[in-house]
This record gives sequence, structure tokens and C-alpha cells, in this order.
Amino acid sequence: MLQSTFKKEWLDTKRQGQALWLSGIAILLLLLACVTGFKSHQSYQQAVNEVSQSEQLRWLNQGEKGPHSAAHYGIYVVKPTTPLAALDDGLQAYQGNVLRLEAHIRNDSLFRSAQDNVPLSRFGSLSPAFVLQVLLPLLIILIGYPLLAREREQGTLKQLLAAGASPAKLFFAKCAVLFTLSCLFLLPVALFLLYSQTANEAPYTLRSALFLLSYLIYLLLWALITTTLSSLLPTARRALITLLTIWAFATLLLPKLAMNIATTLHPQGSGQAFQAKLESEVYTNARLDAIEKFKQQTLAQYGVSQVADLPFDYAGAQLQFGEQYADKIFDRLFEARLEQLEAQSQSYQLAGLLTPFIAVQTLSMATAATDFSHQQSFENAAEQHRRLMQEVLNFNQRDHGHKAQGHYTAGKELWQQIPEFSYQYPRFAHYLPHYVISLISFAFWLIVLVLLSLFAIKKLRLEEQR
Amino acid sequence: MKRLILATELKNLWREKLVLTLFLTTSVLAIVAFFNAHYFANKQRDVVLAAQQMQQQTIQNAKAGLPERLASTENHKWWEDPYDLRGQAFYLMQNYATKTPLATAPIATGQADVLPYYFKMLIKEKQHIVHQYDYVHPLSLLLGQFDLSFVVIYLLPLLIISICFNALASERQGGQLRLLMLQGGSATHLLTYQLLLRSALIVMPFLLISSLLLVIIRDQMGVTELLSYNLIVLCYSGFWIALTAWVNSRAKSAANNAATLVTCWLALVIVVPALVNTSIALLDPTPSRIHYIDSLRAASDDAQKASEKTLAQYFQDHPELAKNGSGASDYATKKIATINSVERAMEVQDARFLNAQQAQQQSAQKLQYLSPALIVQTLLVDLAGNGLTRHYAFMSEVEAHHQALQRFFANEIAKANQRGDFAPCDGCSAKPTLTNLADIPQFSSEFATPVNSYTPLIWLLLLAVGLLLIAKRRVNKLDSANNKEVLVV
Repeated sequence: MLQSTFKKEWLDTKRQGQALWLSGIAILLLLLACVTGFKSHQSYQQAVNEVSQSEQLRWLNQGEKGPHSAAHYGIYVVKPTTPLAALDDGLQAYQGNVLRLEAHIRNDSLFRSAQDNVPLSRFGSLSPAFVLQVLLPLLIILIGYPLLAREREQGTLKQLLAAGASPAKLFFAKCAVLFTLSCLFLLPVALFLLYSQTANEAPYTLRSALFLLSYLIYLLLWALITTTLSSLLPTARRALITLLTIWAFATLLLPKLAMNIATTLHPQGSGQAFQAKLESEVYTNARLDAIEKFKQQTLAQYGVSQVADLPFDYAGAQLQFGEQYADKIFDRLFEARLEQLEAQSQSYQLAGLLTPFIAVQTLSMATAATDFSHQQSFENAAEQHRRLMQEVLNFNQRDHGHKAQGHYTAGKELWQQIPEFSYQYPRFAHYLPHYVISLISFAFWLIVLVLLSLFAIKKLRLEEQR
Repeated sequence: MKRLILATELKNLWREKLVLTLFLTTSVLAIVAFFNAHYFANKQRDVVLAAQQMQQQTIQNAKAGLPERLASTENHKWWEDPYDLRGQAFYLMQNYATKTPLATAPIATGQADVLPYYFKMLIKEKQHIVHQYDYVHPLSLLLGQFDLSFVVIYLLPLLIISICFNALASERQGGQLRLLMLQGGSATHLLTYQLLLRSALIVMPFLLISSLLLVIIRDQMGVTELLSYNLIVLCYSGFWIALTAWVNSRAKSAANNAATLVTCWLALVIVVPALVNTSIALLDPTPSRIHYIDSLRAASDDAQKASEKTLAQYFQDHPELAKNGSGASDYATKKIATINSVERAMEVQDARFLNAQQAQQQSAQKLQYLSPALIVQTLLVDLAGNGLTRHYAFMSEVEAHHQALQRFFANEIAKANQRGDFAPCDGCSAKPTLTNLADIPQFSSEFATPVNSYTPLIWLLLLAVGLLLIAKRRVNKLDSANNKEVLVV
């Protein structure tokens, strides 16, 4: 059954012509997207390596200076990517990839490359993810809308069923044909993933497998939607119009609306308000009081009446106290902001129950490590590194500052005590809780479509009896 | 005959419940898109207002607190003292450069959610100022705002296609066309009235509702802007109606028409813009911002290492600050000189970015003719005041303001230094050196907004007219062929 359906559909497709050249164009676009994606990933990663090395050298060779001057000099760290970012660059252009680590301040990441682009860039660029998520479902629709509807229109459906063809087998054979054809478009992606497994030191096997699996499920969902509607609707024309409407809603309208609703439901204050809040909560009289209390406690602990009599440099101890005081406020305010943003992410993912596009987009960016959660993970790691830097520098000032004649300075030996920031993404399993809703959405869509398929098969059986 | 065709068409659409459905769909789209973008523009306006209020409040507070400060004998740390020029320049200044959204902003958000629209100014390298941005969920930036331009560019053509794809075809397939011709009608008339009536059901409610909302809710909405908006939408819709007429004139089946039109939509609205975008990025790539950081660090290091030399060079460039024999290389002047030096060293890098962006913009202007969607997006974004032209004007004002601030503080710090206000006596606290914060230069948000060019609309109109002419010739042939058949019969 499957083989004969394949042959028949292949002949039909060849005769139609339109589907063949559309497929050709889609393959070309996908290959072009893969090549440009790979090139831009390579140049980005090269820049990350070069600048990270250069920053590290700059840090080590900054010369003799006070540890606190070094803390203000700071260091820039750059977010690395995984090879899968070549296939789905996700939010890379819309979130800064560089972070400045310095004393007293927890910075936001810098330089969103989208800011350097012309407004036309908002139409989206030709990335493999764009082709797979947006164009491929449309191709499936254009190839698949007449699969059963035209058979019905031409009267061949009744003939087939009367000749003893099983409705279920016929339905699944048609669906399998469509799914297999669409899977052919995944071949360049699969080859790229295979190549990246062998070419990279960190192969990201689980991520690659999940990336491919999520697209396989996505294509299966579209194949099921197309075959089911082609089977349920009376004419090919109606099937086409309905499917196109679903596609426009699913890939264009709903994601945009869902995110707009998410940001309205979980509103976030402006950057200006956030900065003002940071400044007003950190640099307060309460901070001055806390510093004074710390000073009195320290003096009491060592049984002296002035800081000059302490067996260490009080300036270093106070700097560290000030950092820890500010860190608590940073944690509270940044955490509150993050909660709002996470709520927006979750709310958006929930809309995956309305369109499989959101589920596949979320999982694709997640496996490629180009989504918001991975960005947060990088920023958190960078912040931990900033705190470690401050601690090492302040403690060094505390322990050695008082021994120096005049202004205390340190050198390369101290700078070397701070380990190089080298960020590795945690295992994907670590992030899974962030994507539970998207996984459930996929399962939900599969169940709904299987039920709908069974209903379509039942209708086909009834047609046989009519 | 005209009335008969229109009445029949309307009756058919009413029977299919399409009139109400389309009216509701386009109305809802217009309302949702308008309010969503209006809400976004208002959020930006509120931030701008808050910044301006904060600036005024700080001036007022400083005025009120001045007598107390003048009477105070405490030791004030200059970096925490609002009456100290150095404290204000490097840490405390509440001075904002802002870009207020225009009344037309809900038409198209464009890059307004990505590009910065306010800057908190301080005397530090402009590179550290102009790269601030509002921290929002990056996914909402990727997906973009649901605004009027989104509905116009993506959804209106789809709605036009969905209602017009079977104009003429169903009458031809059902045999009504020949009946109509027997009564003296023609395929040309039928197609024209069908397309006009059906598309009017989509475009008119959308334009009426969105225009009405723009006039009622957006204060200061100008007549010219409103007319321009309507003209752009009508021209774009006209192109899609013409394309539908051309496809329908080929006398193929309705399903074939639908597939062809959707393929055209996909090509013109999704694929070509994405390809153009990718080509622009490949042809004129923006230099790497990561490498930019590297250059900035190197320039800062060099300037720091040569700070005394930098200061000497600075006084050579600004002799007015060094006069009266003051050779004191105080911290603040040295810092400003270093900042100047870094900015000068980064000029080449900044120019590279600017050149790449301008080259991209020029390529975009040339390549926009490949897709009506690109033309309309550029026009709507510029009309909304969210395009690059207005942004560049804003940025050049920001740079001019930054320079004005630098000049002001450099001058005042030098004067205060010469007067010895920072160190009136050994162990004394600095005198207040900035008693009126209103003396600090303030940003004028009344910067000139360049006039938009509507030349690309002519191309859109030419395309539409060309398609209509071809369609007319084809349908005329159909008319004559059908007439012959009628005669034979």
C-alpha cells in the first residue's frame, strides 16, 4: 500500500510541476541558509576566542596598580555559542553578548547586533530555523492539500475504497508519503549535525538529537494536519484555503500576539526606572549606617579604637563589605526582573497549546543554546565570576594594604590568582524544567492530531459505506 | 448592468456570511494592532516624561538644598556632592537626551523597540553612553510588535487573496459568465466590480477604523500624516488587487489561482525580504561589536598610559582652558582629556560602523524595489518616526549634546580649578562649584525630523498599473472568445 501510494503521489507531483519547483527552491534556500548560518557562526566564535584571549592578556598585563583600581579596570567577557547556533541563531541578535565585570556595578550585557541593522531586518533573515519553522510547513501544505480531497473530487476515493483499500492504511500511507517527503528537507540539517559531532570537541550529542527530534515531530504534526484536513474537507480548494489560514495564524499571527499578550500580562518597568531603583536602593543612608556598624563591629572584635590600629587594611575589608551589601540588593532587584521575564517566557510557551510553531521555536532555540534561559545562565555565571574577582582583590587589599609604605599596589601575581572566565553551558538536562510547557504542547498536539486522524479515518469508512 | 453585478455579488457574499466575517476580522485587527502599538508608544513616552521630570526635580532639589550646603562645614566627598562640578560630571548628573515618539508612532514600530530612545548623559566616553538600551525580553524583539504595519504588510494581502482568488473563476466554471454575457455584461466588468467590492470590504473598514483611532486617540495627529498613511495603504492594497486581477485573468481554476497568489505572497512578503536582508548583511557586513570592545579597551589603555601627554595635547587643543598659567593636572581635567583622547582614537572604528550602516541603508533603498512589502515597510516606519532617518538625526543631536556637556564641564572645572575652589585650603572641603544645576546644558528634543520621500510609491503604482493592463488585455480576449462562442451557439 505504502509503495503504491508513493508511486502514485510521486507521479501526481511530477505532473503538477508546481510542487517540484517549489521543493527545489526550498532546498536551495535551506542550503543557502545553512551556509550563511555556518559562516556567521564561525566568524562569531572566532571573534569570541580572539577577544577573550586578548582581554585575558590585557588583564594580566595591566601593570602595577592598586587592587581596587584593577577592580574598576574590570574585564569584558563574551558569550560563546554552540555549533547548533549556526542552524538557529535564536535571540543572539536581540540580546547583548558582551558583559563588563567591574567593581560596585552589576551590568547588563552590551551590544545587541540588531541595533546595527537596518529596519528591513525585522522581516527576518534566511536562517535554517526560519526555513524549517515557517517555509517547510507551507511546502507541506502546498504538496499535501489535494492528497485525499482531490481523490474525493475526482471520484477515485470511492473507487479505491470499493476496491478494498483500507481507509486507515490509505490515510496513513498518504500521511507517510507527505512526512517522508518533508523529512528529505531535514537531510542538510542532519548532515550538518553529523558534521558538527565529528568536528567539535564538545559534540553536544543530546542537544543535536533533541534538535532533530523536535523538527521531526513538528513536520509530522504538519503532515498530520494537512492529511486530516485534506480528508475531512469536501474539496481541494477548501482544504487549501483552510490550511493556509491555519498556517498564517500558526506561524505569523499567534506567536506575535502571544508575546504581546505575555508582555502585557507580566509588565516590566523601563530600563530607566530599573537603573534609578538600583541607584536609589544601593546608595542610601542605610548603606552608610551599615558600613558604620560594620566598622564598629570590626573595631570591637579586634579591641581597638581606630582602623589604623587593625592588623589589616580596613579599606579592603570595607570594600568587600560594600560589595556584599550591594550584591544582596542586586540579587533582589535582578531576581524580581528575571521573574517577570521568566513569566513572560512561560506565558508565551503556554500559547504553544494553540500553535506547534511556538513549541518548536522554543525547543529549537533551547537546544541551540540561543534562548533567554541560556543567556541568563551565562549572565549568572559572569556575575559569579565578578563577585569572585572582587573578593580576591578586596581580600588582597585587606591582607596586604597595611604592610605597604604609601599607596599599596599589586602586580601580575595577584591578577593571575583570578581564574580565566571560560564559560561552558551546563548539560541540557539542567535546563529541561524551563521547557516543560513546550514538551507538553508537543504531546498535546500529537494526541489531538492522532484523535483527529482517527476521526478522519472513521469518516472515510462511512464514505465507503455511502 | 453595473448595479446588477454589484447587487448579485453582495448577495453572494452575504449568503456566504463573508461580509460580516470580513468586516469583523479587519475591524478587530485594526483595533488590536492600533492599541497594542499605541500602548507601546505610550510606554516610551512615559519613560521620556519620567526622565525629563527627574531632571527638573533634581534641579529643584538642588536649588532648595543650596542654602543648607552653603552653611555646611562638613567634609563633603566630591563624588557624592551634587554641588561639585566633578561629582555631577562623572557620577551624579541627571541629564537626559530623549526621543519622544511621534503621534504617528502606532503606525509602525520598526526598530523603535530595539534602538535606544533615551540616554542618561554623563561625562564619559560617548561609546559608553550611546550603547545603553532598555532591557526587555529579547523574544518580544525577535517577534516584533503587533502594529498597524504588520496588519497592512502581512495580513491585508492575505485577506485580499482569500476573498478575491476565485473572482471570475467560479462564474466561469459555473457557467454564469456566459449567462451574464448574454445579458450584455462582460468579464472585464464582472472582474472589476468583484475585485473592487470584495477588497473594499477588507481595506475600507481597516483604514476607516485605524484612521479614526489615530485621529481620536493620538494627540497632534496631522492631516498630512493621516493622508500619507491612507495613500500608502491604498497603493499597497492596489498592488495586491492588481496582482489578483492578473492571476484571475489567466482563466485557471480557483484552486490554481489560490496556490499562485499564495506563492506570490510568500515570495514577496516572506522570502524576498528575508533574502534581501541576508544579502544586505553579506554585501555590507557590520563590523564585529566584539572586536569593537577590543579596540575600545586598547584605546582606553593607551590614553591612560599617556595621560600626562594626553593632557598636554588637550591643553594644546583647548588653550582657553590652560590660560591664567594653571598647569595643575587635576584629576577631573585629566579625566576629560583622556575621554577626549579615547573618543578620538575610536573615531575610525565608529566611522566603520556608520559607513557599514549607511551602505546597508543604501542597499536596502535600492533592493526595496524587489518587493512591495519592503517599500511599504520603509515608508510606514519613516512616517511613524521610527525609521533610521529620524534616529540618525536624534543620534547626531545626542553627540552634539554630549560635546556641549563636555565643553561646559571642562570649562567650568578649569575655572574652578584656577580659582582654587576644589582645594580652598589644606584640609578644607571643596566649595560648591555648581550652584545652579539649570546651568548644565539641556537636551532639546525639538531636533529636526527629515522629510520622507514617497518616490518608491510611484514604482508600486507602476507595478499595479502594469498588472492591471495585462489583466485587462487577457480578460478582453476572454470576452471576445466568449462572445464568439455565444454567436456560434
